[in-house]
Amino acid sequence: MDALVNLGEGFAVVLTPINMLWVLIGAVLGTAVGVLPGLGSAMAVALLLPVTFSLDPIGAFIMFAGVLFGGLFGDSIAGILMNTPGNSTAIAGSIEGHRMAKDGRAAQALATSAIGAFIGGIIASILVVFFAPRLAELATLFGPAEYLALAVFAFVAISAVVTDSVLRGLAALAIGLAISVVGIDGASGASRFTFGLPELFDGIDIVVITVGLLALGEVFSVAGRRGTPDDTKLLASSGRLWLSFRELRQALPAWLRGTAIGVPFGIIPVGGSEVPTFLSYGTERKLDGRRKRPMFGRGAIQGVAGPEAAGNATAGTAMGALLALGLPTSATAAILLAAFRQYGLQPGPLLFDRAPDLVWALLASFFVGMVVLLILNLPFAPLWAKLLKVPKHYLYAGITVFAMLGVYATSGKILDLVLVLAVGLLGFLMRRYGLPVAPMLIAIILGPLAETEYRRAMAVSEGDAGILVSSPISITLYAVLAVAVVGVVFTRVRAARKQKVAA
Amino acid sequence: MSGVIPTVPRTHRARTADGFWRRRTGLVVPAVMLSVGLALIVGTLTMTVPANTAPPGPQLFPALIAAAVIVLAILLAVDVIRRPEPVEVADDAAVQNPSELDDDALIAAVEGHEPDAPVVRPRSNLWALAGAVGTVVVFIAALTPLGWLLSGAFLFWGIARSLGSRRPIFDIFLSLAISAIVQIAFSGGLGLNLPPGILEGLF
Repeated sequence: MDALVNLGEGFAVVLTPINMLWVLIGAVLGTAVGVLPGLGSAMAVALLLPVTFSLDPIGAFIMFAGVLFGGLFGDSIAGILMNTPGNSTAIAGSIEGHRMAKDGRAAQALATSAIGAFIGGIIASILVVFFAPRLAELATLFGPAEYLALAVFAFVAISAVVTDSVLRGLAALAIGLAISVVGIDGASGASRFTFGLPELFDGIDIVVITVGLLALGEVFSVAGRRGTPDDTKLLASSGRLWLSFRELRQALPAWLRGTAIGVPFGIIPVGGSEVPTFLSYGTERKLDGRRKRPMFGRGAIQGVAGPEAAGNATAGTAMGALLALGLPTSATAAILLAAFRQYGLQPGPLLFDRAPDLVWALLASFFVGMVVLLILNLPFAPLWAKLLKVPKHYLYAGITVFAMLGVYATSGKILDLVLVLAVGLLGFLMRRYGLPVAPMLIAIILGPLAETEYRRAMAVSEGDAGILVSSPISITLYAVLAVAVVGVVFTRVRAARKQKVAA
Repeated sequence: MSGVIPTVPRTHRARTADGFWRRRTGLVVPAVMLSVGLALIVGTLTMTVPANTAPPGPQLFPALIAAAVIVLAILLAVDVIRRPEPVEVADDAAVQNPSELDDDALIAAVEGHEPDAPVVRPRSNLWALAGAVGTVVVFIAALTPLGWLLSGAFLFWGIARSLGSRRPIFDIFLSLAISAIVQIAFSGGLGLNLPPGILEGLF
């Protein structure tokens, strides 16, 4: 029970007044950013990165834990009350959540969502505590070929399997890969696409990309839609704040099912919580259809409970994958990876040996953060919703100011601001013409890893491509991927045929 | 999944605007991709590679990506030309309840079949967009010479105005206040280095 002893030491670090204060500040700020329509936990972490610069690493990461989960708790508030989910991961939970709100059960929907986020997050964190060290051991089995297989898996899964239009998914992936090759090539020292600008030698920062793509892109896209009517009436949060025994009995299995669906997706790099939340929504809907009196479409509590738990469970295990494998499986994890590097730390198997105090304090702060967030969200969700009454133009003007401040404070380079603007315009185009953002982020995050590992593998085997499929792990990954692609092609063709028959 | 779910409100009274290019403004994306691909090709060919580099050198991946970007740009262009956006443009007219329709589209997306094609294409408010982009451009240009306080305030003011704020005078005071709070909190409180510009010495 080493894990418990270590975790206990972690709690001892977190439960000091000053660190508790960081958790609390992080949770409040994270929830606040998460509540804003269009901004989720990845943005919360990116925007608040500069705030943590003057903290010691442990304080900073404890605060990040609060921000990260705060963003996840917050993004469903706007979804339920206004039908404008804070993040793509909150879409699934908002469908039934908003119907519950329209039905006068907004408070119950918010409570279901907060408790679901809590349960999913806590269970995932417990799993991470016990299995992350194992995962780190497993990581030693991973050589260059296996990491490459994992990256290829992520690329194909996110752009072809997860998105609706394979063509647009792949296009977004390719643009992301193109951005990822800018900078000095680590293996050879050749300068690539830097136009001789020393500012570009380190490549384009992930903070620049996320802030441009997610924040500025969103602001531009709001500007572009100005004048087009949208249904963003804020519903009052009425109803009981607490769930009745009957509601609890309905929600509890959904929370647990959602968690079970969400947990494995944290380790698979398919871009965060979108897939598991929708899977959970689909599962609950199917199960509901078998009941005597189906509730879906009229505000089913299970439709909120499942996806919320799934989303937070994924976020929890994604942190495990980041800490133990050094593998960012979502945009949020990628920004945290950048934050680790800023402090000279490299997540991965060695982190548990090199900085055990930091790792265990961070894991302990997940639990503390989750409890703090439950307290902040359960009774006060209606208060958070007040934030949505601030006029939209001031909200987005504030976001823009913070986005530019964050980018400039991170690097101090004017060129980064120009890049943010360019990426923001790209983000606008992608939103307007239906290109998914997730594949691009994954490409930028894992592109350099794929290239380095490929070249490493080739150097080891002296040019023999057979090394890429020489281990059971990589063969399994490619096989699963092939099955998934065939499955997607099959269901799409069948759906297309059905539509033709119907038409 | 995020970008593909149609959020287009359906409307009954809609302005129409046909014309080949108007319905195919999506060609801008393949155009951007083509220029990215060309830049990659030029950059790859003109790259100076250090002499003793191991076989899969720094040019392999950029070359592959360039090829992929260009092929996908062509495929995307063909797709946009063959399947243009709807003729009708979303109107300013109040819509009954678009969220219901959104949900149907979402559910269709969840269940794996294509949602019904939206009847209208999104209307782009190019003036508002240009205002927002222009504001950011001015902010970037003014940051070093004018300093954070003034350029940050202008950024807030300009974005709020482009997004539809109707109170320009009130906004001036609001944006100056916000910019000042940020300056005090981050520069004074957290010790970040924000450019003071022409107001150097005040803080």
